[in-house]
Amino acid sequence: MARRYDSRTTIFSPEGRLFQVEYAMEAISHAGTVLAVLSKEGIAIAAEKKVTGKLLDLSLTTVGGEGSEAWMAGGGEKIFLLNNNILTGLAGITSDANSLVNFARNSAQRHLYSYDEDIPVEMLVQRLCDMKQGYTQYGGLRPFGVSLIYVGWDPLHGFQLYQSDPSGNYSGWKATCIGANHSSAASLLKQDYKDDITLEEAKSLCLKTMSKTMDSTKLSSEKLEFATMTLHADTKQPLAKIYRPAELDELLQQLELGGTKEETVGVGEGTGGGGSGGNIAVST
Amino acid sequence: MECSFGITGKDYVLLASDMSAGRSILQFKSDENKIKELGPHLAMAYGGEPGDTNNFADYIERNMRLYHIRHHHALLPHAASSWIRRSLADSIRSRRPYSVNLLLAGFDTTDDTPHLYWIDYLGTKAVVPYAAHGMGMHVSLSTMDKYWHPNQDRRDGVDVLKKAIAEAQHRLSIKFTFNAIIIDKDGIHTVDLAAEDPIGKIEAEKAAKAEAEAAAAAAAAAPPAAAPEASAPVAAAA
Amino acid sequence: MDTLVAQLAPSRRGDEGSSSTAEWANNGYGNLDASGAVAGMDVPGVPDPLAFLSMHTDSMSTNPQAKIKLAHGTTTLAFRFKGGIIVAVDSRATAGSYIASGTVKKVIEINPYLLGTMAGGAADCQYWETYLGMQCRLHELRNKERISVAAASKILSNLVYQYKGMGLSMGTMICGWDKTGPALFYVDSDGQRLKGDLFSVGSGSTFAYGVLDQGYKWDLSDEEAQELGRRSIVAAGHRDAYSGNTVNLFHVRENGWEFIKNYDLSELWYEYEEKKKADLAAASAAAAGGVPIDVE
Repeated sequence: MARRYDSRTTIFSPEGRLFQVEYAMEAISHAGTVLAVLSKEGIAIAAEKKVTGKLLDLSLTTVGGEGSEAWMAGGGEKIFLLNNNILTGLAGITSDANSLVNFARNSAQRHLYSYDEDIPVEMLVQRLCDMKQGYTQYGGLRPFGVSLIYVGWDPLHGFQLYQSDPSGNYSGWKATCIGANHSSAASLLKQDYKDDITLEEAKSLCLKTMSKTMDSTKLSSEKLEFATMTLHADTKQPLAKIYRPAELDELLQQLELGGTKEETVGVGEGTGGGGSGGNIAVST
Repeated sequence: MECSFGITGKDYVLLASDMSAGRSILQFKSDENKIKELGPHLAMAYGGEPGDTNNFADYIERNMRLYHIRHHHALLPHAASSWIRRSLADSIRSRRPYSVNLLLAGFDTTDDTPHLYWIDYLGTKAVVPYAAHGMGMHVSLSTMDKYWHPNQDRRDGVDVLKKAIAEAQHRLSIKFTFNAIIIDKDGIHTVDLAAEDPIGKIEAEKAAKAEAEAAAAAAAAAPPAAAPEASAPVAAAA
Repeated sequence: MDTLVAQLAPSRRGDEGSSSTAEWANNGYGNLDASGAVAGMDVPGVPDPLAFLSMHTDSMSTNPQAKIKLAHGTTTLAFRFKGGIIVAVDSRATAGSYIASGTVKKVIEINPYLLGTMAGGAADCQYWETYLGMQCRLHELRNKERISVAAASKILSNLVYQYKGMGLSMGTMICGWDKTGPALFYVDSDGQRLKGDLFSVGSGSTFAYGVLDQGYKWDLSDEEAQELGRRSIVAAGHRDAYSGNTVNLFHVRENGWEFIKNYDLSELWYEYEEKKKADLAAASAAAAGGVPIDVE
């Protein structure tokens, strides 16, 4: 009887809950943390990589770049460029996330086709959330096991930071966090965030909070992805930058958060969230 | 026989259109408005095949409104021009295309710039500082070529428009009456071409409106002292 | 058994099954769809009906080799003034050079408050304006108030616009009295719809305008306005070979339209001629300063 109301996504429990959607959110709270901080000058976003093992071959993946090169960051697991003006950080089931990224990129290009302008940030968020909502209402479907943080800029509302969850809910934030330890990270951000923060301070706050929520004491590019959304100094057009490993390590050194390679937790020895759960649904 | 003009300036864009409507050689009306407001800072002057014109203009108007309602802000002129061009480009490749030409004028409130687009029924779009459609293309473009210059103020813009209209009325064998609008950061205003100083008239209207609004705001803010007494019995009754 | 029924079921035609009922529910009432078009109205079953129809029909004498010639040739007029709306039309129907009828009713009584005039294809006007009457009645039943003239004319223009290019030929004026007072709209088969004070449509319209424009002002009395409408149709009937026979005169007021009278057009013409002569004689006599003398 206990399973009477939680086997289908579209059926409310007597208490008025949708268990499948709640389970999806629960799955995400074990995923790698994603954290972003908004400032007037730009937005910083960091994401924790959960490396699955030392045998994983990452030698063919490209990892970062700026502007048009940010598109090449296909090898990143957590942070993706959705459009010239929008970055996303994902927490949840990787395959679901890939499908959403693909959908978002298509939506952005369709908007470009019709309107010859970059899609406004909130519109893209709405497009994705409309789809996610649909999966909580139509029978026989499973909700997307993914939460996203969106980081973007458009001419109407400037820099914006949004977050969405598997129910299709979304909201705008000054600083926010999804994935493992998101509530403790959120309270840390709440303590330290100031409205007139600079981009450098935002980057610092982002990574420092990350270091406190992650289990390892020293951060490095092996456990972390990092990106910023700023405006190009000359053109005043949005500029996405996904940090290359070397760039990120240098930044971590400056902030005294990174150590030498030896000090960081070795590849494959990390605190894999799923434990012995196996890799049935790879969670990142 | 149609004729429309658009002229941009430093911080505004002007749009004018003839007002005739008829069938073959007969003129039925000389006071038909062929300029459509599409948003708080967007309008178009349209012409072409009778029937198609109004239907297409309504279609555009409703879609612009829908976008505004859905997204809480109007499409910016550039995006609107792309969407309208795309509509015509899709239409020309359909079974029964719209035969509509238009001048789209708008003011981008995000960077305070005027925009003017020349669009035809084939789906051609050109970004232009000044433009004409219909018979005006043949006679008045050279007038605007000579007298238009970048960053001119409103009165200079109206002067160029009046010259273009005068040339059309002088050289074309059809009599035209024109109506005109101006779009600036405050929105869309009608331009009374017959007035001595059309721009002065608009400025006076703007000032009067601002004054009325200020008075209304003051009136709304002023009597809170009296309000609680008045509302008390109502609250008690409720 | 069930298998057998399942096999037979799809082949049962002419049965108003659940699927077609559902379709009706989505669309509107009966065979009328939500957009107002008649679902049962057929267009030629060829890949491009527009090209097919324009090849085989001749609605405006622009395609003489076409075999299907549509009747046209008419004078109709309507104008707004302080006392309401005057509607005047002739009654001749022609097919080529042949006068097919001299007693055609070119004013279609849509309902007690709405009139439509008929120019272009008689069948098109009658069919669609009758249909418009139906839509107006449905509007009353649904909304418990009479339809505005603007809305009624918009139904018609949206309707004919759907068939644009398929050979519909109509030029009509929708006249009526609604909450806004007297209202007049011109609607044609191009899909054009114009609001105005004064329109004339048909082959004789240019001649009618010639009299109408000169005599028109807003402050006409009822008698003057009726006379202006009558006189304008007579002028057109006299000059235009495709117009004539009789004049039908209507007056729209706040409580609905009234049919004034049917006049023989040539009798009117000669009355006007006689009056012109008499006036001239009176004027010259007055100029001569004497009492008018009977010249006979």
